[in-house]
Amino acid sequence: MSRCKTYNRKKAIIFMLCVFLVFIGLCIRLGYLIIFRGNYYSEKAEELHQRERSIKAARGKIYDANGVLIATNKTVCTISVIHSQLTDAETVIQILSKELEMSEEAVRKKVEKVSAREKIKSNVEKEIGDRIREYDLAGVKVDEDYKRYYPYETLASKVLGFTGSDNQGIIGLEVKYEEYLKGSDGQILTLTDAKGVELENSAEQRIDPIPGNSLTISLDVNIQKYAEQAAYKVLEKKQANSVSVIIMNPQNGEIMAMVNLPEFNLNEPYTLLTGETGLTAQEQQEALNKMWRNKAINDSYEPGSTFKIITMAAALEEGVVSLEDTFSCPGFRIVEDRKIRCHKVSGHGGETFLQGAMNSCNPVFIDVGQRLGIDRYYDYFEQFGLLKKTGIDLPGEARTIMHKKENMGLVELATVSFGQSFQITPIELITTVSSFINGGTRVTPHFGVDIRNTEGEVIQTFTYPTTEHIISEETSEKVRYILNQVVAEGSGKNAYIPGYQIGGKTATSEKLPRSLKKYISSFIGFAPADDPQVIGIVIIDEPVGIYYGGTIAAPVMKEIFENILPYLGIEQNFTEEEQKEYAKTTVIMPQVEGMSLKDAKSALSEQKFEIKVLGEGETVVEQFPIAGEEISDNSTVILYLK
Amino acid sequence: MKQAKKRNYYDYSLFFIIIFLLCFGVIMLYSTTSYQAQMQGQTTTQYLKSHLLGIGIGLTAMIMISRIDYHFWERFAWIGYVVALILILLVLSPLGKNSNGATRWLRIGSLTFQPAEFAKIAIILLMAHLIKISIKSIDKIWTMVKLVGITFPVVAMIKIITNNLSSAIIILGIAVVMIFIATPRYDIFILGGGVGVGVLAIFLLNVEKIMNIGDNFRMGRVIAWLHPEEDPLGKGFQVLQSLYAIGSGGMFGKGLGNSIQKLNFLPEPQNDMIFAIICEELGLFGAVCVILMFVFMLWRFMVIANNAPDLFGTMLVIGIMAHIAIQVILNIAVVTNSMPNTGITLPFISYGGTSAMCLLAEMGLALGVSRKIKVE
Repeated sequence: MSRCKTYNRKKAIIFMLCVFLVFIGLCIRLGYLIIFRGNYYSEKAEELHQRERSIKAARGKIYDANGVLIATNKTVCTISVIHSQLTDAETVIQILSKELEMSEEAVRKKVEKVSAREKIKSNVEKEIGDRIREYDLAGVKVDEDYKRYYPYETLASKVLGFTGSDNQGIIGLEVKYEEYLKGSDGQILTLTDAKGVELENSAEQRIDPIPGNSLTISLDVNIQKYAEQAAYKVLEKKQANSVSVIIMNPQNGEIMAMVNLPEFNLNEPYTLLTGETGLTAQEQQEALNKMWRNKAINDSYEPGSTFKIITMAAALEEGVVSLEDTFSCPGFRIVEDRKIRCHKVSGHGGETFLQGAMNSCNPVFIDVGQRLGIDRYYDYFEQFGLLKKTGIDLPGEARTIMHKKENMGLVELATVSFGQSFQITPIELITTVSSFINGGTRVTPHFGVDIRNTEGEVIQTFTYPTTEHIISEETSEKVRYILNQVVAEGSGKNAYIPGYQIGGKTATSEKLPRSLKKYISSFIGFAPADDPQVIGIVIIDEPVGIYYGGTIAAPVMKEIFENILPYLGIEQNFTEEEQKEYAKTTVIMPQVEGMSLKDAKSALSEQKFEIKVLGEGETVVEQFPIAGEEISDNSTVILYLK
Repeated sequence: MKQAKKRNYYDYSLFFIIIFLLCFGVIMLYSTTSYQAQMQGQTTTQYLKSHLLGIGIGLTAMIMISRIDYHFWERFAWIGYVVALILILLVLSPLGKNSNGATRWLRIGSLTFQPAEFAKIAIILLMAHLIKISIKSIDKIWTMVKLVGITFPVVAMIKIITNNLSSAIIILGIAVVMIFIATPRYDIFILGGGVGVGVLAIFLLNVEKIMNIGDNFRMGRVIAWLHPEEDPLGKGFQVLQSLYAIGSGGMFGKGLGNSIQKLNFLPEPQNDMIFAIICEELGLFGAVCVILMFVFMLWRFMVIANNAPDLFGTMLVIGIMAHIAIQVILNIAVVTNSMPNTGITLPFISYGGTSAMCLLAEMGLALGVSRKIKVE
């Protein structure tokens, strides 16, 4: 037998050496992977292993001017199923379909789907979630979650806006103040295996959610409600398409109410008011967009006669007209080759500028506009800020649609002078008129007042740009005087409230195309006329029947003012004539409960009470005010019959 | 010559390193497979049991074989070779078991068995025998060609029938190493090595171009090797998961049992990729320790080979050494993405009862040779 030779051994050693070298190479490779690439790979691995569950942050609340909560959060539950942890799928399907009121097939489909975590239903009421939790079903997870909740449901729906499934703002203030309200979601990071099953004993990393800050807005729930009530009345009475009301503080631009009827329920923003069904997805979305539209801001319209205030202010500022200048109105005015009619076909005859304003006489304003000329008129238009957006803190503000200066002829000038042939938004109009009556300061209309943290400390107070000296104080005073006269004795007299000096202007705009004979009636009013604290605009879209702004819109404003002026603490201040006419005496309310209607009426007939009867029957069972109360002699007395 | 001969030399170092590697393997295997077994609704020791059974039988076989004079086996050299060929062919019969897209296993009852494992032993035995009888002309190129040629039927069948490139490479490698050590010549190996390195270099430098020509299974593996991150969910998946495991281990690892990659992220971690789990749980330190254990084992083989009483014994142990060396190197190279992915297990540690049995039988041969060493 031949033993191996020396060279065999030598070669064996060489082979061993080679192998050893290769192993060293592999160790270097390993060292490189672990030491130099380790961070990279372990990060990648972490990403792979960790599953994050986000914890929704509570969205900031919204408070009205008086600290009334108008947007808050409600705890709701998300029910999901972890397939790998299910032990009794059948029972789970039965219970879930019963509790969640879902069809068994729908639940079955989700429960039987092999996935790490399948969401069965979200936004489930907390009580239902708690009930499901009590069943203690293996593999069924009930996670608590927040859902936006609006206690007043329809109140200022288009202003507040609502939130979507990720708690993000969809429209309105919820969008505009998203960054303050949203907070930041927290996370629970857990290690899982490849199937997404959480590992026991692995430490959970938790990043706590930071709740959103709360927003205080200038909107006042009471004023909003008063405005809404008045608007609803006219909407129903006039079967109008929509009614918009803005109530604002003309001194600083704080909006106290913004009504856009019909309002929708913010807690069910995807339910169409019309109740239409069977729409295609696109039709549905269009209908929803229409329902969500804030007409006071998102849509422009032809302002009509309310715009005469602008012409008036420009002309007074420029000094091309004084209150006593006389004009004559034959019922029309011919500008170049066009005959432009006055609303009063027979004409107003001879009148001063003041009277012309009180009569809302078109030829007067055409003349005044012509005196200003295209250039100057256009400059004022621009100076008043009418070409720019108001900068209101709501999304989607529409732009003014105005002639280009170079395309403007005398005819266009004439029509613009009394508010036709161009379009602005209601908010633009009310903002501009505010600057005329507050002494010449253009304010930025807004809702946002301040931002507070969860402890209620103010962390940011909003300031808004103002532009001073849009017009002089004297012009402002004249404008206030004229508009006060319009309400006191002119076309706006339906808005007159004894004891309050109210200024205002009516408008009736014919919608395009004119042939349709559709109208927008509006009224813009403010009080007190000498030091305006509140300004409001009422716009009624397509009223049926009588459509004159002075007849249908002015009373709405009157009703609102009657409620909110005392509410705002604006004192009644009777002029001497008014004192005589409306001398107030107080009387003690007599007891009429138990009497027959006839007897009650005669008992009350001594005073100037306005008697309202509710219910049916012969006997008065309840009265308001109650007996013994001191009331003014012209109060309204309500009697309930049975 | 001195007369002081110890009759009963036994390479205890090798014996204990085998036992140690097996124990380590069992621990790692338990760590790697317990979760998976549980997830499949079985007991945590499901994998371990069948592996331990294989080891038990294997250890018994090893001790028995080591007690038989290794010359006894020489007479079976050709028979073993033929049996190996038949076993590979049997894969095509209904006994063949398809798994993961390749038919590599024979199923006999509940046992599965890779003919390639047996073929390795058969080739080592046959090559040792042939080298012994043709040692006179071993420096002739023709002899070397004939010797390598004798392995071709097995290599080709393993590659073609069982589509198992890695085993084919190992068998060819064993043969080449054995001839290299048997022959006094260097030139042909240096030349061959040089040509091989050159071809590889040219291939790698032009890999993008070649890739565009043939887009087949193996090319996909090459792409996955070069850019595992470009195809993280496809062919690069296993490699990438392996790198995540290695990289997240750090110097000392996450601790035994704490691997996360084994939780179904890394596919079949108990087979080819167990080294990655070792890296993740025991870190660079643990991985280097494992490599050192293998180095020590190979060194023991070298010592036994160099002291074997005859050339047949030397070549037998050299073959075993080459087998273990190549297989460990290939496995670790794949796991660390140093070469394209070929399915190759880590000896003594990867899961597989029959594979462990074959390995231990080989160890029995090596120990048997060591027993015949005459210690001066």
